[in-house]
Amino acid sequence: MGLGKFLERVLQLVPVLLGVSVIVFIMIALTPGDPVQIMIGDQAITPEQEAALRRDLGLDRPMYERFFLFVGNAVQGDFGQSFYHRRPVSEVIAERLPATIELSLVALLIALFTSIPLGVLAAIRKNSIFDRIATVISLLGVSLPGFWFGILLLMLFAVHLNILPVAGRIGYSSEIEPITHFLLIDTLLRGRPDAFLDALSHIILPAVTLGLPMTAILMRVTRSSMLEVLQQDYVTFAEAKGLSRRRVLFRHALKNALIPTVSVAAIETGSLLGGNMIVETVFGWPGLGRLVVESIFLRNYPLVQAAVLLYAVTYVLLNFFADILYTVLNPKVKL
Amino acid sequence: MTNVADMSRPPETIFQQNLGNFMRNRLAVASSAVVILFILLAIFAPLIAPHDPNATDLFRRLQPPAWVEGGEWSYLLGCDQLGRDILSRIIYGARISIFIGAAVILVATTIGIIAGLSAGYLRGWVDVVISRIVDILLGFPYLIFAIGLMAMMGPGLINIILALAYKEWVIPCRVVRGETLATRELEYIEAARALGASRRHIMVKEILPNILSPVIVVSTIRMAHVIILEASLSFLGLGVQPPTASWGSMVSDGRAFILESWWVSTFPGLAILLLVLAINVAGQGLRDAFDPRFHE
Amino acid sequence: MSALLEVKGLRTAFETRAGSVCAVDGVDVEVHQGECLGIVGESGSGKSVTFASVMGLVRAPGRITAGEIHFDGRDLRKLSRKELRAVRGRDIAMTMQDALTALNPALTIGVQLAEVLEAHDETLPKGRKARARAIRERSVEMLGLVGIPSAGSRLSQYPHEFSGGMRQRIMIAIALACRPKLLIADEPTTALDVTIQAQVLELISDIRAKLGMSVVLITHDLGVVAEHCDRVMVMYAGQVVEEGPTAEVIGSPSHPYTRGLLGSIPRLSLRGQPIHPIEGQVPDLIDLPPQCRFYSRCAERTDACLTPIPVRQVGPHRKARCIIAGEDTE
Repeated sequence: MGLGKFLERVLQLVPVLLGVSVIVFIMIALTPGDPVQIMIGDQAITPEQEAALRRDLGLDRPMYERFFLFVGNAVQGDFGQSFYHRRPVSEVIAERLPATIELSLVALLIALFTSIPLGVLAAIRKNSIFDRIATVISLLGVSLPGFWFGILLLMLFAVHLNILPVAGRIGYSSEIEPITHFLLIDTLLRGRPDAFLDALSHIILPAVTLGLPMTAILMRVTRSSMLEVLQQDYVTFAEAKGLSRRRVLFRHALKNALIPTVSVAAIETGSLLGGNMIVETVFGWPGLGRLVVESIFLRNYPLVQAAVLLYAVTYVLLNFFADILYTVLNPKVKL
Repeated sequence: MTNVADMSRPPETIFQQNLGNFMRNRLAVASSAVVILFILLAIFAPLIAPHDPNATDLFRRLQPPAWVEGGEWSYLLGCDQLGRDILSRIIYGARISIFIGAAVILVATTIGIIAGLSAGYLRGWVDVVISRIVDILLGFPYLIFAIGLMAMMGPGLINIILALAYKEWVIPCRVVRGETLATRELEYIEAARALGASRRHIMVKEILPNILSPVIVVSTIRMAHVIILEASLSFLGLGVQPPTASWGSMVSDGRAFILESWWVSTFPGLAILLLVLAINVAGQGLRDAFDPRFHE
Repeated sequence: MSALLEVKGLRTAFETRAGSVCAVDGVDVEVHQGECLGIVGESGSGKSVTFASVMGLVRAPGRITAGEIHFDGRDLRKLSRKELRAVRGRDIAMTMQDALTALNPALTIGVQLAEVLEAHDETLPKGRKARARAIRERSVEMLGLVGIPSAGSRLSQYPHEFSGGMRQRIMIAIALACRPKLLIADEPTTALDVTIQAQVLELISDIRAKLGMSVVLITHDLGVVAEHCDRVMVMYAGQVVEEGPTAEVIGSPSHPYTRGLLGSIPRLSLRGQPIHPIEGQVPDLIDLPPQCRFYSRCAERTDACLTPIPVRQVGPHRKARCIIAGEDTE
């Protein structure tokens, strides 16, 4: 697409990002409870120290000034100190981020590799037993509460069958020195296939739970998109040319059919971010999602604020990416 | 001369045709029955539930379901860690889920319709402002926004409804706006304008009745989503507070006992699944029935 | 001499919510070597479905329920799917109405041309480079044949980069790439401007003469048929209602429907006189009564027409599905 149009789209992002930060800021600013009090906790300090603390945190300034301070710092990656950890928020978040990203990526891969073949098959064999199974999976995928499904999986595989672990990211015996902080990669890089399997066995249940709704949605999109494509004239013409079924399918049909799938996948990846909190809590996964939930209960607001902002910005960028992707892939818009 | 048209039946309205389509879909009808069943459970909970949902009985702590050794038939689905009857709590829990689900959808749809109609019909700066707000709100993953709001407002029934509705209204708003944009160019709207109808009259009396179908269909399907969200919030401890029984918090309670007492988490979650599944299938049936492509 | 294509008693039905629709009901077609057969009918007459059935392109919820299809001595209905695919594109080729939708927008025309050559042409060399070169040469040759200049540089372009008329030519080039014995052209001119229409039809005639190919021209435009077709077949409501040499059928039509079609064409010579459209509508194809299907619109109907009407010989090479045909004097 032309550079001009691209920049235009980028510019449209700005008010959205701004609005998002405003909302995040207001949400936290309006939360009941004095942040200074929370920080102090049970410690005894003098009123002067308290006032100094307040000044340090900028709490004595008017709202709009605080907002600009907030945004200014945020852009530099400074989100203040975590009340609970007594360390910079950005540090704490950075520690837990890889776990969440790894989980989300694996969930995404599972979703893609399951939904696309199933969706295509369901479309080709419309109304067959295949199709019905696919429909059932789709319905279940959006109707199953994630937290319950996760618990069910745990009960089945971890408790009853005892073949998969109950919680955590990896067993003690498989701990290794991290390189990328993605365990699945690091264990291989360190030449520890046993640790890799261990990490795999830990990630599989949460990833399946996280990826199920997305699988359901993508399968439906792929199926209906494929059905539509198969009705197109160019598919009939390709058949009239006497091309093999495989050729017609892969070369002509699939390419066009997958366009909606890919853009929906990009958008839905954002919702994986929300589902993270639930899945990480259920499976005791040491990621950002669980950190956020804990922080809310601990009233650790700087961290909550930073995390919510991070999530929101990622989500907006993902949607933007999906938009661009759709435009790029769509041949009719390739003018 | 004469046409082959069959004149023996009076012509049906589109609505009647759609309803007929829906009725023919046995699965959709069955699901609607399930939904109505749940609604009845919720309304008549005090009459149907065998026990007081909040009555604790430490002798019956973690009692298994009736068909397992150690269970009793009067406590059909077993008891939780405080000896409370799970079946009764599930029945009362239906009140929470359905009430919150319905309330959120009602509020969200109302706001959404007003906003969508205004944006779609009045255009201009109204549209710009509303669309911007919609874009910004859409920039939040659902759960995170709700959690943020709940953290801000604190737990409580009204707060949950507000928190969920805050984001939910953008969905009917988008649908309404799209439909309004499409409808406003049609001729009968022009005719109404030519007759001097006020803008409000046009929006409410002319456009609204015609766009209600897709809104109803979307809202039905969204209700299922809202119910899961409420359950998720309750699961995390951010929803209705104890001792009120919410299916989500019941599942959370049972987490500590999955090794031995599987029933505490399983049955409430099953209730969620059944209700949501039924709503989704019925909603799907609604959508198929009202789909203009199915008209011969 | 037996015909190149012989269709006997073809029946193709579609299952719909309202019931079974027999889009093609007992159709017989013959196409001889080197001839151009025109198929005329309005939308819903079954003309396209007939030939889609011949090519085995009918998909669920439709299927062929009865009939024989013999092409070049072989029974097409008895062929396996693989064998039928070998026939399609190589011996029988089809072009469609709108080249914009028939060509895949995401693939270059070079690729779409190469595909059909790859699928059928045994004479191509085996080595990768030689093969690619041979395909390119043949592609350029085909595009030249259909009148697209400087074809070599245009192979890497996409369908939307060409004009409507050129796209139609490209589609024809693809269809003819393997020198088929029979070309089925489904509404080749409907989506085009009048001036381009003439060019495309000329092109088809030229190639037909050059290659000795048989052509089936499916159209609703009698003018096209009059100019380019040796024989014509008129279809109505899934049945053949008239058939014969073009000049004869158009000169003195036997079936009231054909007469109605011809009579409803506006003509300069009849300027100032009212146009006579055919009254009424095509009947609903579900639950058709066993009688002449044109009954409700026919000005010459009698009670005898309320029985199933067979196809009758009304001249040395002419057939019509009408009881009173051939008995009228114009």
